[in-house]
Amino acid sequence: MADNIIEIKDLKVDFHTDDGVVHAVKGISFDIPRGKTVGLVGESGSGKSVTSLTAMKLVPNPPGEISGGQILFEGKDLVKASEAEMRKIRGNKISMIFQEPMTSLNPVFTVGDQIAETLMLHQDLSKDEAIEKAIELLDQVGIPNPSTRVKSYPHEMSGGQRQRVMIAMAIACEPDVLIADEPTTALDVTIQKQILDLLADLQKKYGMSVLFITHDLAVIADIADEVVVMYRGDIVEKGSVSDVFNKPQHPYTKGLLACRPSLDKNPERLPTVSDFMTVDGKEISYDISALLKEKTTRPIADDHDVLLEIKNVKKHFPLKKNFFGKVQNWVKAVDDVSFKVRRGRTLGLVGESGCGKTTLGRTILRLIEPTAGEIIYDGKDLVGMNRQEMREMRKKMQIIFQDPYASLNPRMTIGSAIMEPMIIHNIGANKADRLQKAGDLIEKCGLPREMLNRYPHEFSGGQRQRICIARALAVEPEFIICDESVSALDVSVQAQILNLLLDLQEEFGLTYIFISHDLAVVKFFADELAVMNSGQVVEMADALSIYQAPKEDYTKKLLSAIPKGIPKDLLVTQLQ
Amino acid sequence: MIEPNSDALPAASPNSLWTDAFRRLKKDKVGMISLIVIVIYVLVAILCGLDLIFQNYSVADDARSYLAPNAINWFGTDFLGRDVLARAAHGTYTSMLVGLLGPGLSVIIGVVLGALAGYFGGRTDALVVWFYTTVDTIPYILLISAFAFVLGPGLQTLCIVFGLTGWVGLCRLVRAEFLKHKEKEYVQSARALGAGHMRRIFRHILPNVLHIVLIQFSLAFVSVIKAEVILSYLGLGVEAGTPSWGVMISDAKLELSRGVWWGLLTATLFMFFLVLALNLFTSALRDALDPKLKGK
Amino acid sequence: MLGYILRRLIYMIPTLFGITLLTFLLFNVAGGDPAAQLAGLHATPQQIEDIRVELGLNQPLYKQYFDYVGQIVRFDFGRSWATKQTIGQMILGRSLEDSPILASLSLTLPVFLLNILLSIIIALVLTQVRGSFLDQSTMVSCLAAMSISSLAYILFLQYYLGYKLALFPISGWDPSFFGRWEYLILPILIFVILSLGGKILFYRTIFLDEIYQDYVRTARSKGLGTKSVLFKHILRNALIPIITLEVLSMPFLILGSILVESFFAVPGLGGLLVLAINNADFPVIKAMTFIGAVLYMIFQLISDLLYVVVDPKVRLY
Repeated sequence: MADNIIEIKDLKVDFHTDDGVVHAVKGISFDIPRGKTVGLVGESGSGKSVTSLTAMKLVPNPPGEISGGQILFEGKDLVKASEAEMRKIRGNKISMIFQEPMTSLNPVFTVGDQIAETLMLHQDLSKDEAIEKAIELLDQVGIPNPSTRVKSYPHEMSGGQRQRVMIAMAIACEPDVLIADEPTTALDVTIQKQILDLLADLQKKYGMSVLFITHDLAVIADIADEVVVMYRGDIVEKGSVSDVFNKPQHPYTKGLLACRPSLDKNPERLPTVSDFMTVDGKEISYDISALLKEKTTRPIADDHDVLLEIKNVKKHFPLKKNFFGKVQNWVKAVDDVSFKVRRGRTLGLVGESGCGKTTLGRTILRLIEPTAGEIIYDGKDLVGMNRQEMREMRKKMQIIFQDPYASLNPRMTIGSAIMEPMIIHNIGANKADRLQKAGDLIEKCGLPREMLNRYPHEFSGGQRQRICIARALAVEPEFIICDESVSALDVSVQAQILNLLLDLQEEFGLTYIFISHDLAVVKFFADELAVMNSGQVVEMADALSIYQAPKEDYTKKLLSAIPKGIPKDLLVTQLQ
Repeated sequence: MIEPNSDALPAASPNSLWTDAFRRLKKDKVGMISLIVIVIYVLVAILCGLDLIFQNYSVADDARSYLAPNAINWFGTDFLGRDVLARAAHGTYTSMLVGLLGPGLSVIIGVVLGALAGYFGGRTDALVVWFYTTVDTIPYILLISAFAFVLGPGLQTLCIVFGLTGWVGLCRLVRAEFLKHKEKEYVQSARALGAGHMRRIFRHILPNVLHIVLIQFSLAFVSVIKAEVILSYLGLGVEAGTPSWGVMISDAKLELSRGVWWGLLTATLFMFFLVLALNLFTSALRDALDPKLKGK
Repeated sequence: MLGYILRRLIYMIPTLFGITLLTFLLFNVAGGDPAAQLAGLHATPQQIEDIRVELGLNQPLYKQYFDYVGQIVRFDFGRSWATKQTIGQMILGRSLEDSPILASLSLTLPVFLLNILLSIIIALVLTQVRGSFLDQSTMVSCLAAMSISSLAYILFLQYYLGYKLALFPISGWDPSFFGRWEYLILPILIFVILSLGGKILFYRTIFLDEIYQDYVRTARSKGLGTKSVLFKHILRNALIPIITLEVLSMPFLILGSILVESFFAVPGLGGLLVLAINNADFPVIKAMTFIGAVLYMIFQLISDLLYVVVDPKVRLY
């Protein structure tokens, strides 16, 4: 018999909502072996987070309810355990870290107090001893100057440091099991790497078992021993990481593995889950060679037609004003950036949060006024254009934002949303004509035209992003900025939208600036690439050469931080 | 080849957020009963306003002064021998008029100022903020007393007083909402598509702020009905002779010690059911319009 | 800190200017001719004109305004038309026992404290049983209690408890600090009853806002029990909105209650205002309005300073 610290058997969790009972977890079983890391993978709505909260019995009740099954922790069934028994286990034997380190820490207590609280609760320590231990723990999780930082409040730390504090709190009592619910999703890729390394070190040191919940298979490959794949409340596949990554059995797993762009492959299009299975989970036959067809690189010559040129663009925001309203301190969000975008090609703009890429994107469209510089579109400088001239330009340049939930007016049908730009720019002879056009556009974006009288909240995230694309196309633009347009979507949906954008580029000869923090996605999508850091472009070249031969240290650091998506032992066999 | 979307499509018929909210409201029993009660009050108010029912409300008869509830005057008579029930019913008209017109005026002021300040920012904002900070700084009861005192008693005065004093809270809220919404991606998208200021304010942001205005209006309705009583007590309410719950309740100060309790009771009950219905309806409305807040 | 306070005080100047302007426009421009009112119904035009000259009403408006601002700067609010006392004296009283502010406070302070204590306890209990019958019925009761006019409460309870059952004196006053409590018990009781419902609902909303925060989940995942989560984590965070809002309501402690004070003959500022309105005493109403506004500004400053103390995220700029 394998030595499992946690065995979950036929676990069912229901949520009672106004619209009836939702079966969030539909009878799943899996084990967490002692000292190993189990990765729990799934997209939004798969029930993975509910599963992790259930293991601690922290599912809010009402509306949630464990309606069946067992959670055996060292042979003891936690489903039947009383609240008092659970309290002795939580934070002591099993502890947990969450996705949002900012909101998960109590904002009004110092981090030292919060770590000490766990210690005093489960161990017989005085306040001073607990603080002493908290300093040690902060040191262990790699917080510099722990003896002063122990008195800091959460808001005084960076995102990565807060997650380190959460980890310190979780390991304070040397628990047997650590549950990590998307602990790196909210963090930049370089910080993610640090946190993953830290978790791996601590696991080795304390011999903990880890349940690692994530939507990102690449992360699992880096850190887990075993993997459990969830889809709509059910487990569709489980096994060792090398088995699942090498020989995926279930079509969903196959799709999930294939649709994520990776650095070492160079496909023409991304496969999607729907290439492998139908919506209701039936496998469909696929042509592996078609799916893996290589992209033919489109070389960019120096004399290639330039559509947009940015010259020394700066955007500075006032940070602090003195008493008389004079600005004393500036944030240089965009600091002297210059580049060219060629007609019909895609420029990828990549960088970590706060590097200024979003500000730059909005400045190009003059949604934000630049502090200095020139934005030359098709030979004309946008800076200094009056409102009427700018309105004319808006026909040609469009933007698609990150959050599909926020970028559609919730009180407007999608039909009126798509027709609105036509009205503004006098496109279409009359209402019927515009309606016809809107229907054509929405069909082009993969939704039936009968949907035009619907409201945004009736659609899924991916569908809404299709609507946003249709709306942007309504003015027949030649240039579109995609500002993190696929970042909020599940990987399988992300692949669909990326393919759609590629198809549209081909059909209409569109020029894109594609802004993203995700290097793998940008590499798949862009012809040329600009890496941004602290408001400046640090490196710029065609996409492939940046990945193959990065010149700048920052680019190298960024590249090495990306999870490879190949399990360790698999890598070893490949090398042999 | 355009790849079709693989997610399930929405169900049969379109639902705007308003129809969604209305569907949720219809399911809320307490909310619907409250709505029915409010509608009844509105009907009574209209019928009294047109003088179609309780026409005897101002018929005085010295001989019938202070009669306890009896077969003819179910709720008794007042000092001048007028029927208490008829006066309370006509008080509904007064309350409804003040409760609708006063907050109506403040909604117009509050929304216009708040929208301009929040949307345009800069000097406009500074001016509006200064203006509402000033008005807000004066304690509400002092402010309405001072206004009512200066303008003299009367029905129109009450409407103007409540209208001119009640807009501050709403203005602050609308300003904050506009500040928030104007940066949201859907408004930025509209801007990128070439939409001008007016289109962004009225077509995009305002419909998304309207539910807050609705709830605030309902809250203001209640506070005005209650404040009318206090102004009546201070002698700053409606003109003498106009039927009003506030006057009926204030008059009880002299009546109770003589054992005359029916005037107070009737007016209080009339007011109680309307205000309770409005309170319950407001909270049902809030749940329906913003389901995330449910149960709070 | 001192720099911050100084800066805040300077920012008050535009608001103060606004208040003087508003009260001036209200009373001196929109309010009609005070001379006519002051002179009474049977005054001759000459008498009215004399009063106008005496009050400076024949001066151009801007000059009247500057005179008014000048008076305020000197804390000179003039004399009451009704009692001919200086308004400063009316508001401060001749001695501590005679002080209207202390009279108001001895009514409002106990009410304020009792209210906070009771409503926090009840609201915390409700959050623990949220969604249950007890929770729902308490909420409806609170709404019902809020639907009755405060004047009706006072009339009925004064009549019933004071007159019918004769448990308390109906109304009256003893200026001595010990003697006054005999007369204060009933008004305090009534005041608490008529404001408790709203307070409970208010606190319940604040606590529920906190209960769904992520940090509460973290606290529970540490193994903390309901009580520690509630009293340590939630209450401490809820304190931020509670303190700021309660401090902002403190001017009313000093200004007193118009209704309760006039019904129970409490000689506080609320009662003073009722008298002034009944006597059409312009200068007193004007002074009270101005003082109320200034009090509000002072407590707003205090509230902002406390905010810095209770919320570590707030820094002074």
